[in-house]
Amino acid sequence: MPLESHSKMSHKSMAGLEFRDVHKSFGAVKALRGVSFTVEEGESHALVGENGAGKSTLLKMLAGILRADSGEFYWHGDRLDLGSPREGLERGIGMVYQETLCFPNLTVTGNIFAGRELTTGGRLREAEMRQRTRALLDELHLSIDPDDVAESLSAAHRQLLQVARALAFDCRILVLDEPTTSLTDAEADHLFAVLQKLKRRGVTLLYVSHRLPEVFRLCDRITVLRDGAYVGTFPRDEVTHDHIVHAMVGRDLPPRTVDAARHAETPVLEIDGLTRRPYFTAVSLSVHSREIVGLFGLMRRATSRDVLIRSRKERREAEDLVHAWRIKAPGVEVRPDTLSGGNQQKVVLAKWLATSPRVLLLDEPTKGVDVGAKFEIHEIVRRQAADGMACLVVSSDLPEVLALAHRIVVMREGRVQGTLVGADATEQAVMHLATAEHRDAS
Amino acid sequence: MRRLWNLREVSTVAILLLEILFFAWYLWPEGNRPHPFINAPNALLILKYSSIYGIAAVGAAIVIISGGIDLAPGSVIALAGVVFAGLFIEAHWPLGVSMLAGLLVGVATGLVSSALIVLVKLPPFIATLGVMGMARGAAFVITEGRYFDVSRELVGGWRPLGIPADWVAPLVMIAMAVLFQILMTRFQWGRAVFSVGGNETAALFTGIAVGRVKTSVYLISGLLAAVAGVVLVLVQGQGKADLATGYELDIIASAVVGGASLAGGRGSVAGAVLGTLIFGVLRNALPQIPGATFYDRMIVGLVVIVIVVVDQLLLKRGN
Repeated sequence: MPLESHSKMSHKSMAGLEFRDVHKSFGAVKALRGVSFTVEEGESHALVGENGAGKSTLLKMLAGILRADSGEFYWHGDRLDLGSPREGLERGIGMVYQETLCFPNLTVTGNIFAGRELTTGGRLREAEMRQRTRALLDELHLSIDPDDVAESLSAAHRQLLQVARALAFDCRILVLDEPTTSLTDAEADHLFAVLQKLKRRGVTLLYVSHRLPEVFRLCDRITVLRDGAYVGTFPRDEVTHDHIVHAMVGRDLPPRTVDAARHAETPVLEIDGLTRRPYFTAVSLSVHSREIVGLFGLMRRATSRDVLIRSRKERREAEDLVHAWRIKAPGVEVRPDTLSGGNQQKVVLAKWLATSPRVLLLDEPTKGVDVGAKFEIHEIVRRQAADGMACLVVSSDLPEVLALAHRIVVMREGRVQGTLVGADATEQAVMHLATAEHRDAS
Repeated sequence: MRRLWNLREVSTVAILLLEILFFAWYLWPEGNRPHPFINAPNALLILKYSSIYGIAAVGAAIVIISGGIDLAPGSVIALAGVVFAGLFIEAHWPLGVSMLAGLLVGVATGLVSSALIVLVKLPPFIATLGVMGMARGAAFVITEGRYFDVSRELVGGWRPLGIPADWVAPLVMIAMAVLFQILMTRFQWGRAVFSVGGNETAALFTGIAVGRVKTSVYLISGLLAAVAGVVLVLVQGQGKADLATGYELDIIASAVVGGASLAGGRGSVAGAVLGTLIFGVLRNALPQIPGATFYDRMIVGLVVIVIVVVDQLLLKRGN
């Protein structure tokens, strides 16, 4: 099977994938300014940087979707000239993208062989493809059926399907772009187990992520890009988390501060006993002016979000705050879709704030956003709260909730498990509530 | 076999059978009079006229599965029919050559649609709306209000390849349905059409030639509409510019009732053909119900909505 063939070449230690002085501009924007670095054969190499640092551009070139203005790519000393996605695949470069690029209407087999079906005279060799898929799924310990339709799979399985797809065709280097964005921790663990296994077999990994803990867990070396330029490549064992963050943002992030909760008059937003089976039951919470409340839940992210959506409706009926949520055109002469994820998020936020609402509801405000932009978004939210706004932040990112919220409402299985204020709101306390077996355990 | 005849098509057959049973019961004659609906000549009549829709619906289903839409079939049917009949009757071209010329009309309109969609990057709805208007207009320009009477040249007893004239349309439909059902489910091209309709970005990223797939899809839709046009003129005996007016909506509705999703990626050729039979039966039986004459368009519209809504609900429950 395809995986076996990698072990043969794992002992060679010649240069794997080499980027040489790569430049790329989009109009006046310099996306890449002479990036050079090497990914050694068989290592797992992280590529980190803020949004807009040039990671995606580099990956798109590697995938054959974009072409460099100048500079070269080498694989085993041979120059790579990738004109189309297909050529990348044929040279053994497998890509796993951030957005799950799967075909929801096709079966698992159909997805794995999409665009590269085994055929005789245009006719599909279904039985053979199904058999190869089954073998591949077994190797990856994926308990899914080759005939399952992709849309019936979990997000994690859809993501792993892409890994399987890359491996089905003897891929020698696997490039992963933010693969855990839509996965739960358990699902991410499974992905890492698979990646570790591939690594042991000699597959070279190029891993792009905002999540530094993942990077430190998986990767041997870390390359940092900033503003389209190469900052450096660091062996994992010689650097700390803070080193990398510093290299990424070019500044130190100030320590987080959690202000004491301040209780104002009457709450601006109040939800009382909101129930919508099977999503949530008897949810009550209130948000005061000048206060940031975090709504945290571990799994089933939809849960807390549903409360939010539902409460938004309730509020519409109850108070006439609809105007506060009216979308206004941004006054800035920028097209938001030309910006990177973090900047897009900031534009959205600025748009809402331009309407000077009394309540700000944030649903995973920094999901898929880099550290620098995340920090700026947090600052904006803090400033708004200080100016008197009531903020409700729904997030499954615990450090974010801890850093931002005055009060943290913890949900589990559609129920509010407890509320933690100020000094009580430690990581352990929140996790305890979010994972506790019984309600009275807290 | 499982791929060729999946569950969704079985339910379309079930709807068709229920419909036939309903009209058989509702129109049951008193005494010993013959049944006005359940009889062989009527069945052939339904089949004959549904086939025109059916042939074009094969193309419509393929376009819809690819994530597009084609509004041109009705007009292309008319233009192809008029070109065929005009060349045959007025220019006295041989029958076969005139038919071929009619089919080329479909290739041409299909090429125009795909060029507008793939190269100019117009939304399919707009591109084919334009082609729909131009093709209908061209049909009027060619006929200048006349009609070409093909029936006087093809006197009774005309049997191409020994096939009775009434069977030409149904047989062409069945041949097209079988051919394209197999191409769509068993061949790499069909899989590519499903892929493009399922997730176009992913299709691009996996190296599928998306532009080529889209071109092929509109070409086939145009060609099949032209086939329907030529066959319609043979069946009706007249080529005129207002042929098949409004057919595009019934054709799209048939594909949708047969399981095609306008969001793309879902549907089947066989389902679309069965869908045309559902409407064929309605169009045939409703006028036989006293007082229903003025309601039949409404009822057809209602049936589309009910079937699609029920389908969606069942899908949701299935997930």
